[in-house]
Amino acid sequence: MTSIGTGYDLSASTYSPDGRIFQVEYANKAVENSGTAIGIRCKDGIVLAVEKLVHSKLLVPGVNRRIQTIDKHIGLATAGLQADGRHISNRARDEAGNYRDTYRSPPPLKTLAGRLGLYVQAYTLYSSVRPFGISTILGAVDKYGPSLYVVEPSGVFFGYNGAAVGKGRQLAKTELEKLKLSEISTREAVIEAARIIYLVHDDAKEKEFELEMSWIGDETNGVHLPVPKELFDEAESKAKAALENFE
Amino acid sequence: MDHFPTNWGRPRNDAHDAYGTYPIAERPYNGPKDSFSEGVQHTQQPIVTGTSVLAIKYKDGIMMAADNLASYGSLARFKDVQRLHTVGNHTVIGAGGDMSDFQYIQNILDELIIDEFTAQDGHSLGPAEIHEYLAQVLYARRSKMDPLWNSLLVGGFKDGKKFLAYVDLLGTTYSASTLATGYGAYIAQPLLRSAVENNEDTLTEEAARKIIEDSMRVLFYRDARSINKYQIATITAAGTSISESNHLETSWDFAEGIRGYGAQTQ
Amino acid sequence: MPGLPQQRQFNPYSENGGTILAIAGADFSVIAGDTRQSEGYNIQTRYAPKVFRLTDRAVLAVNGFAADGNMFVKSVKQRLEWYRHAHAKDMPLRAIARLIQTMLYARRFFPYYVYNILGGIEEDGTGAVYSFDPVGSYEREACRAAGAAQSLVQPFLDNQIYFKNQLAAAGTSHPTHLPLPTVLSIVIDSFTSATERHIEVGDGLEMYVVLAKGRTLQGLEGIRGMQELTTTDDGERVFVVRRELKKD
Repeated sequence: MTSIGTGYDLSASTYSPDGRIFQVEYANKAVENSGTAIGIRCKDGIVLAVEKLVHSKLLVPGVNRRIQTIDKHIGLATAGLQADGRHISNRARDEAGNYRDTYRSPPPLKTLAGRLGLYVQAYTLYSSVRPFGISTILGAVDKYGPSLYVVEPSGVFFGYNGAAVGKGRQLAKTELEKLKLSEISTREAVIEAARIIYLVHDDAKEKEFELEMSWIGDETNGVHLPVPKELFDEAESKAKAALENFE
Repeated sequence: MDHFPTNWGRPRNDAHDAYGTYPIAERPYNGPKDSFSEGVQHTQQPIVTGTSVLAIKYKDGIMMAADNLASYGSLARFKDVQRLHTVGNHTVIGAGGDMSDFQYIQNILDELIIDEFTAQDGHSLGPAEIHEYLAQVLYARRSKMDPLWNSLLVGGFKDGKKFLAYVDLLGTTYSASTLATGYGAYIAQPLLRSAVENNEDTLTEEAARKIIEDSMRVLFYRDARSINKYQIATITAAGTSISESNHLETSWDFAEGIRGYGAQTQ
Repeated sequence: MPGLPQQRQFNPYSENGGTILAIAGADFSVIAGDTRQSEGYNIQTRYAPKVFRLTDRAVLAVNGFAADGNMFVKSVKQRLEWYRHAHAKDMPLRAIARLIQTMLYARRFFPYYVYNILGGIEEDGTGAVYSFDPVGSYEREACRAAGAAQSLVQPFLDNQIYFKNQLAAAGTSHPTHLPLPTVLSIVIDSFTSATERHIEVGDGLEMYVVLAKGRTLQGLEGIRGMQELTTTDDGERVFVVRRELKKD
């Protein structure tokens, strides 16, 4: 952390002499401390999965969802500061609603990711604000088919076949690369997603976690829905079994 | 001081604009004033209109029908318009009256449903909620003297309960086991009532379909703003469905026997 | 007139027929209305209630333009709920009456096109009826009819409740209050008669009875179609009696 004490890291509106914006890099640190979130683009849809770290046993199960619904056909998963995730999902809903109002059609994900990117980037320009401490995975099935995007704290966004953000992203990416993403079905991807989340979870360091999974595709009629309990339970038990074999 | 020469009074010559005022030479109007003329919204009338909508309760839920015509006055302007619209998972609405107002209503309901869906709070709007919402919107608009010019039927099935109700441009609401808007209130409603009243829980889908089809046929014979192409919606425990367009079988043989209508010359 | 622009203005009102009435007894009140809703010659529905229970001691009957009526009742109920939240008790009847005047007069220049009759029990335990015009003029009375068949029913009530045009037998006087069974009979007769002679009245009859605190059922026990709406008998009690009327 050579940036500390130099004075160039106090504001998002100040560059360091070598052209970096330290506040944005710190925002990325907030993402890296968060539970992992992954997204898989399959041939027939999208699967999102999140390792939601539960900081207290007193919490009611299922609260503080990190996968949210933006529009009928759009899901969003965040890694980073929870409150920022909720703010960005509200903004995404507004943008999606605004697009529908203007064009009377469902927003394509590329457009939505672009608008969210612009919004996030605006928070890297001013000394009066702090950049978003989240990376956002957006998944949808739109008129172009299944698509998957990630918006980072800097405001940049890329399209992916498989995406992973948060603490366990490195290992998760390695696992995602092993999958044949162009051939996999959403039903298969749900099993893989659960396995990867269980795999990257470090129970030596971390406490409890809840697995959150959602999907969009032919199985759901193009609607973003939580993975049905039956399939969820199957995926979770297979993930646990795989973990035993892995070790 | 008033710096505008046009406000200084009547010039000697009205035809000559001595001060070269822009855009036009205008003097203040000193005639009688209508202090209400501003702020009053004026006449509205429906432009492109749909005619009757029919709906009944039957054993499994609600059946609703409307033809595919949108008229421009007496001109049959659009002949493949859908006047039934699904709202959420448990409701269908059917509209008579102004079709642009109906499209506006469809849009606000679609937005409402998406807002409720994205909340993911485990609740979904049923027909009773949709109907109450529409009643509030239509009543608020009539109270602004800027009505949404429609008669709407709201049919639905949720939590094992049938729902069928009406709401119109005045915000008037009511519920019954048979409903008909527009011309249908005069022509179809008596037929529907005699077939359905007290049989709501025994009437089969097949029988219901026949009653609706017969009523649509009578309407096509008698309502000059109707067409022989229509759709039927059903709302049951299984959800909502709107059929493809059906064509009515009609027979005009009787016309031969009517003096002044058929081939007679005398 | 040639040359002058013609205007057809949107008419925000309609008339939905039906009739309501209320009669106050010494320690009870009866508020009734038919359930037909119509427009012109069309019966829109055979069951659209016009009588609403507001509290355990107040019942409101609303007649005129149905959309205004329903919206008005909804607002009154909301104000009563706010009162309950603020004061932890139901609003007294006379206060509800004044509230209704205020709410009606607030729309003096775009009125709710409705005639209201409020019936119930006052804080002193007496039966009461308040009647209103659409813009809020109101008074407390012993009986009142309103709506489509007002002109048929009110003279009948004047005769039967106020004993107008009746002379008491020598050495006797007219009673000041009638017993509940008599009042119910008068109400039923009013509506069956109005149904015969007025096309907008019929289908169903709903009669609400509000009993003062600690009073017996006064012969209400045996009434056909009676149903109690209150759950305890330590305060005022509200009952409803439903009857069929002719549907033609």
